[in-house]
Amino acid sequence: MRHNFGYFEDDRGAGITEARLWRRIMVYVRPQWRSIVIAIILTQVVVAASLTLPWLVREALDRFITATGITTAVRFAGLERLALVFLVLALIAFIANFFQVVILERSGQEIMHRLRHDIFAHLLGLDLAFYDKNPVGRLVTRLSNDIQNMHEMFTSVIVSLFNDILRMTVILVLLFIMNPLLAAIMLALLPVLVVIIALFSRLARRVFRDIRTAIAGLNAFIQESVNGMNVIRIFAAEGRNRKRFSRLNADFCRRNLRQIGIFAFFMPLIELCATVAVALIIWYGGGRVMRGMMTIGTLAAFLHYIRLFFQPVRELSQKYSIVQSAMASAERLFAILDTVPGITPAGSCTITAPAGAVEFSKVTFAYGDNPPVLQDFSLTIKAGETVAVVGATGSGKTTLINLIERFYQPRTGEIRIDGVNVGDIDPGLLSRYLGLVLQEVILLPATVRENITLGREVDDALLARVVEQAQLLPLLATMPQGLETRVGLGGRVLSVGEEQLLALARALAGDPRIFLLDEATASIDSATEILIERAIANTIADRTAIVVAHRLSTVRHADRILVMDQGKIIESGSHDELMAKGGRYAALIAGDRFCVSAP
Amino acid sequence: MIPDPLNRQARTVNRRLIQSLFRPYLPTVIAGFIALLGVDGLQLFIPRVIKAAVDDLGHGLAGPASLLHQGAIIAAMGIGVFVCRYGWRRLLLGTSRRIERDIRARLYDAILGLDAPFFHKNSPGEIIALASNDLNAVQMALGMGLVALVDAVVMTLACITFMLAMDPYLTLMAVLPLPFLALATAFLSRRIHYHFNSVQKRFADLSEFGRRSFAAIRLVKATNIAARQVRDFDAVGRGYVDENISLAVVQGLLFPLSVLVAALCLLMVLFFGGRLVISGGISVGSFVAFISYLFMLTWPMMAFGWVVNLFQRGMASLARIMAVIATRPLIVAPAVAVAVVPESEVRIEVRDLRVDAGAGRLLDGVSFTAGRGLLGIVGPTGAGKSVLAAVMARVLPVDDGHYFINDVDVNRLDPGDCRALFALVPQQSLLFADTIHNNIAFARPDAGRDEIEAAAKTAAIHAEIMAMPGGYETIIGERGVSLSGGQKQRLALARALVAGRPVLIIDDGLAAVDTATEQRIVKNLRQTFRSRTCIVISHRLAVLGEADTIIVLEHGRISASGGHEELLAVNSYYARVAAWQNGAEEGRNAP
Repeated sequence: MRHNFGYFEDDRGAGITEARLWRRIMVYVRPQWRSIVIAIILTQVVVAASLTLPWLVREALDRFITATGITTAVRFAGLERLALVFLVLALIAFIANFFQVVILERSGQEIMHRLRHDIFAHLLGLDLAFYDKNPVGRLVTRLSNDIQNMHEMFTSVIVSLFNDILRMTVILVLLFIMNPLLAAIMLALLPVLVVIIALFSRLARRVFRDIRTAIAGLNAFIQESVNGMNVIRIFAAEGRNRKRFSRLNADFCRRNLRQIGIFAFFMPLIELCATVAVALIIWYGGGRVMRGMMTIGTLAAFLHYIRLFFQPVRELSQKYSIVQSAMASAERLFAILDTVPGITPAGSCTITAPAGAVEFSKVTFAYGDNPPVLQDFSLTIKAGETVAVVGATGSGKTTLINLIERFYQPRTGEIRIDGVNVGDIDPGLLSRYLGLVLQEVILLPATVRENITLGREVDDALLARVVEQAQLLPLLATMPQGLETRVGLGGRVLSVGEEQLLALARALAGDPRIFLLDEATASIDSATEILIERAIANTIADRTAIVVAHRLSTVRHADRILVMDQGKIIESGSHDELMAKGGRYAALIAGDRFCVSAP
Repeated sequence: MIPDPLNRQARTVNRRLIQSLFRPYLPTVIAGFIALLGVDGLQLFIPRVIKAAVDDLGHGLAGPASLLHQGAIIAAMGIGVFVCRYGWRRLLLGTSRRIERDIRARLYDAILGLDAPFFHKNSPGEIIALASNDLNAVQMALGMGLVALVDAVVMTLACITFMLAMDPYLTLMAVLPLPFLALATAFLSRRIHYHFNSVQKRFADLSEFGRRSFAAIRLVKATNIAARQVRDFDAVGRGYVDENISLAVVQGLLFPLSVLVAALCLLMVLFFGGRLVISGGISVGSFVAFISYLFMLTWPMMAFGWVVNLFQRGMASLARIMAVIATRPLIVAPAVAVAVVPESEVRIEVRDLRVDAGAGRLLDGVSFTAGRGLLGIVGPTGAGKSVLAAVMARVLPVDDGHYFINDVDVNRLDPGDCRALFALVPQQSLLFADTIHNNIAFARPDAGRDEIEAAAKTAAIHAEIMAMPGGYETIIGERGVSLSGGQKQRLALARALVAGRPVLIIDDGLAAVDTATEQRIVKNLRQTFRSRTCIVISHRLAVLGEADTIIVLEHGRISASGGHEELLAVNSYYARVAAWQNGAEEGRNAP
């Protein structure tokens, strides 16, 4: 269970207006409207029941307990009856409250589930250029924290906010009916409250964001220290790290103290407003009672209602912050849904009898705004040919694979498979023509079989052949459950080399015409490397293969070796031809031979 | 090693620790509690002023002056409550944050002092959880938890005392439903804790699933499995939704339940108290007072379950943190350390070294010596090469009599002095989220820019650094530029070189560097290899071209050692690897 502490939170842009944002949120809310209405009704039941309980006590007091005019037996019976009503109401409130919580949680979760599905599906549909711009940590934050923020708004705010506003309106109306003048004075307090709440939520939001940023930094620093402990130890950096940590720690504490300060001022301030309101009622209302313009009952009712009025106000500011932060999250989420892939939609061509010829025709390509990696690049690879590409990091080797796979789209020029532009080929079919093996292997938390088939239809005979060709038999022999052994998250741990073999099997299982191999550079010991190389040899036999080689030991048997430098092919030919030529390739090989280089 | 249950010993340790943590803030805490009691007192008093004002009005005793006076008193007390509330929030909650800071500092200090075996036993995730989740639980308990506890206890005691003074029998009736609440709360809060943890776990699974899919977006696209990924993601998401609903079911019970029990208490007083009034047992005034006290008790009753839960979690977390703080490092300085004698050459001698570093990583009787020049170590994965490097660099402990530096047993040397002899390029090039300059200068903060650039040039990374937008001031890591594996390794090498230590250990630190660059680096290092004691662990024999001696390590033992030609003749592993890496035909067909 790994946590990502790269905390990403950007401020709201001015992209979508509030109204449009709500309209889009409502699209997700609409399917759940029945549940939400039920939840609101249930809340009303709870409020009504809890307000009736004190009234019942008064009834009991007035009608039976202190009623000396009737017989004791009647008083006892009446008390019993009211007690029974009390019990029933309390139970109704309990049940309604319970169902309200569960129903609201369920509808909130369903709404978020759908939104999460849409975001995830949309993200997987975006092109690689988008992923280059957005680090994985940020995308995960969208999927987890941003959706969590919105969920909080649904469950803890929407319904209770509705109720609070309803309650406060009803109270204000009641006050006006009872005594318009005193009610107007109370109403004059409202703008003061609004200003206080608005100011409070702005400050609170800012300080909470500061705190989150600080804790993310602090945790990232601890994680770094733990991971790099040996380095810290060797280079005697304990003191320096302690100092840096102490600064971060103190900074985090300071921000928390600031938050406490803000809350310590505003929370009691709202209470103070309520007390001032009470004092005003006593002073002004009392005066009117003295002059006979108001009854004591009205005064008592005013005092009672003003307390009820202020109850939700205290939480209103917190709820306001939650809504603010949820809206910011919503905006970020909808911005993702509005992102269109930078690649033109794929066509639906098929290749009737794919042979596996690949052609780059005058291709110019750059990553984002960077200088072009390839410029006017042309290359023809015959069907069945094995081509190895060598060259320093950044020479454009991997770019070739990226373009054939259509991860990116060239600025100009075309990449063709059997004469058809890759952009015109149906993406499902393209993925079947091509078999890609990447440096980094991703294991699904599933069985070995599922990891090889990836949900594609692979018959048992092919699977058996694939497992054998990929040199997986020795590994499977150590697994009691064979192909049904679970690997990946929570399953059996595989070594880097074993993962590589599995990745080869995975590519083989699609029975592709063209193999694209981005050779691993991870530290695999040579025994495993020999195994992998044999698996590769099996894999690329009678197929077109493009091997991006980081190690030279695998390239010798290629039909053709391309040496790339700064997006250009500077040498091309078989191993023997290039060795005879004595150019860059020959120099690389000479340097790689053990114990030959020392002059 | 991180204890789970709260045993008595842990509780004693906790109590002592809490005392020592609170001590510096004692006056602040006392002032805070006085403010808290002030709030309680004033709040009990305000209703009496209101009652007096209403009574005066009712009896016709009120006048404009008395009303103004009473209004002013209420407003003044309101301001008093405001000041006291402001006070306790700042003083008490502030102290909890300061104590959190102090504990975190002690935890970090402890972690800095611990050595490799501790980090093998406790994953970074676990340690981070200590510093975040666990510490958070402690802060909650010491802050809001403590406030709520004191407040609830004071209010409950006050109310119950008043009630007992009025009528013991009715008090008994009124509190009869309470034990039921306590039991239900204890049961439900355990369930909540359980469901809460599984919600957290599902949430982590969901994030992890997303992370893996995004990280492997090329695979997802190349194999066209997006639809399947979305389906699987939905399944994980469904599990998360279900777990949340289970949690809501328990949570949906707990809070309404305390409201229900409070209502039941009221019902008891209404029914039994009402009968008492009717039969003349108590006065109407007492009955009304009873009911208002019960209303006051509602909040503490709801709070108790929450507070108890908070405290249990806080104390369990504190015990876990404490266990780490109390852990002692295995490598300790000897009582009387022998000074490391500066010599022009550092000679290393490993004598019959046996190490069991866990997880099958072990050394089983390894002996060799190394002096100025290059010593190469090769061997398959899991042979114990990295363990050997860690022992040599003095980050893994070693028993007496197995490891000598310049003929002195390392256990007689100060570990810090000892480590100062070594520069290490670790297998995983661990860099920090900082500028490139600072990452290289990490080894020696006083290194000048020219020295740093020289090291970067030797590590064949200078040109790439200069091509970055900020040059040496470019920030790397999560928030900055992300580097390739090869770039990270070369930076780690530059860092080790700038340290200028007499011994250089490279633990398979060039594996991700492409062949052409690797060749340049080896050429650049030639001078270094000749002038210092260098130990290079590698799968790639080409890197060891300069080695005076090469050791072949297999299954924790040295299976052969000597020069290249000698090893080709006597060691089958070595011969096989050499043949294969040189691309000879016989290598391809070898098993």
